Amino acid sequence: MDVFSSFYGLIPVTIAQSLIVSFVVLGVMLPFRILNFPDLTSEGAFPLGGCVCGTLITAGINPFLACAVALVCGFAAGCTTAFIHLRFKINTLLAGILVMTMLYSINLRIMGRTNIPLFTYDAVFTILAGASANFPSVKILIVGLLIALVVAGMLYFFMSEKGTSMRAVGASPDMAEAQGINVGTATIIGVGAASALSATGGSIMVQTQGFADVNMGFGILINGLAALIIGEAITGRQTILRQVLAPVVGSLVYYQLISFCLTLGLAPADLKFATGAFVLLMLALPNLRKSGGGVQIREKVRE
Amino acid sequence: MTTDMLAVTGGTKIFYRGTQDERRALDGLDIALKPADFCIVIGSNGAGKSSFLNAVSGKLPLDSGRISIDGQDVTKLNAHRRAQFIARVFQDPMIGTAPTMTIGENMLLAELRGKRRGFSYGLTAARRARYSDQLAELNLGLEKRLDMAVGLLSGGQRQSLSLVMAVSTQPKLMLLDEHTAALDPRTAKLVMDTTVRAVEELQLTTLMVTHNMEHAIKYGNKIVMMDAGKVLVEIGQEEKRGITVSDLIDRFHTKSDAIALQGS
Repeated sequence: MDVFSSFYGLIPVTIAQSLIVSFVVLGVMLPFRILNFPDLTSEGAFPLGGCVCGTLITAGINPFLACAVALVCGFAAGCTTAFIHLRFKINTLLAGILVMTMLYSINLRIMGRTNIPLFTYDAVFTILAGASANFPSVKILIVGLLIALVVAGMLYFFMSEKGTSMRAVGASPDMAEAQGINVGTATIIGVGAASALSATGGSIMVQTQGFADVNMGFGILINGLAALIIGEAITGRQTILRQVLAPVVGSLVYYQLISFCLTLGLAPADLKFATGAFVLLMLALPNLRKSGGGVQIREKVRE
Repeated sequence: MTTDMLAVTGGTKIFYRGTQDERRALDGLDIALKPADFCIVIGSNGAGKSSFLNAVSGKLPLDSGRISIDGQDVTKLNAHRRAQFIARVFQDPMIGTAPTMTIGENMLLAELRGKRRGFSYGLTAARRARYSDQLAELNLGLEKRLDMAVGLLSGGQRQSLSLVMAVSTQPKLMLLDEHTAALDPRTAKLVMDTTVRAVEELQLTTLMVTHNMEHAIKYGNKIVMMDAGKVLVEIGQEEKRGITVSDLIDRFHTKSDAIALQGS
């Protein structure tokens, strides 16, 4: 019973955390599913957002403005990845790794050290909610409203004339070009927007955890991917509404699962392995079923 | 004198220039189409038919030469800018449409070809009604399935959709790149009939690449035979009347190429 009561106690905190990470999951989904551009920039854009926001807040800048600057920096990082891929024909994953690696140094340079405490400074939450800002329910409300706005905005955009053309770029680049769509521009803006989302997630995260750390992005991408896959398993991908809801739903479920596993006694050290194994299993599942056929063919050949 | 709808002068494209593998895909190509010309392009593999179409669409920038559409020089415009004049149906039905998007969304993408795309809502009720009417003419029942993903359609249905998308905006020039080659004979005929109906009704200037000699004779008002990146023979409307497949092959004197043509 002790295990369950500690799990129940953690539910609100976990919900608040998973809503913030939803930004990153949306940022993973957009290039991967909409643009067909597997992108790893999030892993660098998330701490970039955190470091930029943390540094600006300690410099006395308004936290809202700090978040906005973090968003713009994330956008620039994503644009860089897309540009490297388009201009130099470098594989999307490699372009993402290059940008992510270079961002680590940039993040260190921005902060000047590996960690900045922010406990003593105003955050968007304390400005909006005053003394009650530390209650998880207040954070859930604020971040929840924000993420609802973002999801509604994305849903509208992807059904607009411009958004439809961006989706066409991912669905069939040749067709998109033949319909007069500038494939390069759409890709750069789309991947940029995705990294902007991840950076925004980072900027909100540092304000809830009370510090910015250069290593805070480590593993965020695989967490985001796991959350996305769970979300898509629940909502499906048939319509754009389902596709845009999947990241948020997935993030909410995934972090509760993690929290549950930890309270059951999973060692935190094993967490990344467990997450990786889970993502591998989910991605391999369609082919696992097919491999039965493959074995049969091989046996036939032997006969 | 009317202006040519399409004029290519001295179109040249050389791959791997200056190396041992140098290959002249287009070698001083000259061609002119009057408005409402329906021109059939034939030639053996490697004759430069695809390079010609890609050069016109802007996918393959020329090394030298000029291309103009309806009197406007488009030589330096890239493919997505030229799309305001050109509609294209590809050989592969998978390429010409966006398979993960719905029929309605594909129609929307085609309607806005070369136009400014804004932030307003895409598939409005008025547009849906219009798309339904346009698709109903195909008699394939697509008009009732606007929200169905295009990937679920058969190859023939998808090529028919591609065709409706291409003609929906009255393009100045339509490019058909062996657009029935991947279909079974019955479906190919259906798509071809729809093509001819649309070209005649809308008086579209059309370039059609085909390997099918019967089609070359039966359709269009002009035949262009290509070889080694040049126009080898041009057969106009008068001459085209009453011509047979063997006549065509005779005209195409290069022996090896004649064999290649007979084989297809």
